[in-house]
Amino acid sequence: MAFTMRAVKVPPNSASLEEARHRVFDFFRTACRSLPSVMEIYNLDDVVTISQLRSTISAQIRQNAHITNPKVIDMLLLKGEEELSNITEHAKQRHHIIGQYVVEQSGPHDKGSTKDPSTSEFLKNFYTSNYF
Amino acid sequence: MAAALRPAILRHLRIPAQAQSLTVDPSAPILSSFMNRIRSMSSHGDEHLTHEEVVDRVIDVVKSYPKVDPSKVTPQVHFQKDLGLDSLDTVEIVMALEEEFKLEIPDKEADKIDSCPLAIEYISNHPMAA
Repeated sequence: MAFTMRAVKVPPNSASLEEARHRVFDFFRTACRSLPSVMEIYNLDDVVTISQLRSTISAQIRQNAHITNPKVIDMLLLKGEEELSNITEHAKQRHHIIGQYVVEQSGPHDKGSTKDPSTSEFLKNFYTSNYF
Repeated sequence: MAAALRPAILRHLRIPAQAQSLTVDPSAPILSSFMNRIRSMSSHGDEHLTHEEVVDRVIDVVKSYPKVDPSKVTPQVHFQKDLGLDSLDTVEIVMALEEEFKLEIPDKEADKIDSCPLAIEYISNHPMAA
């Protein structure tokens, strides 16, 4: 099984922002290299291309690009590595991958949109913040 | 008999040693470019990529990257300075090149590749590029 690949990683303990940055790039490269196997495990060939998945991964990394504390970056990397190992060892299923990485997610208020596509401006503002 | 004949034949084979003109090229791995000009026993046939093919494929990969404006892409372009990408985009383009040419670029070398000419040069010098 594919447990071996993940088991050897030392828990990240970056001394500086530069080292954390380096770890982020290493994680990104590892994730990209596992993409062909992911495509094959979950039969994603009809749904998405490898370059789209790569862009999705980099977009998610970029969402946290503003963080400067190395320990926070380490924690995020830990979560990312756990997610990657879950995906590569087939602990997830196809609909998880498609829902989380293929379909466009656009904001917290959309979680309610499948149940109630409300056209209320008040509600939209309410979902985004307390103050409006 | 064939087993005895083979070393006798091999002992008499002379492989032409080509005089290498060592152009000073600090970023290219000099040793590997020296060793992979001569591949007379290779079973790969004539699968070497021509330089134009490498350039064309690299340009295609860069142009098909969604954040890049295809009209700005030339073989001399620098990813961060000319195309306005950031370091994560650079890593992503290098990974896309790895996928295109079926290579695996070690991290230290990948960190140095941040422009089209460097990428083209690295791939052209890599013996396993397909």
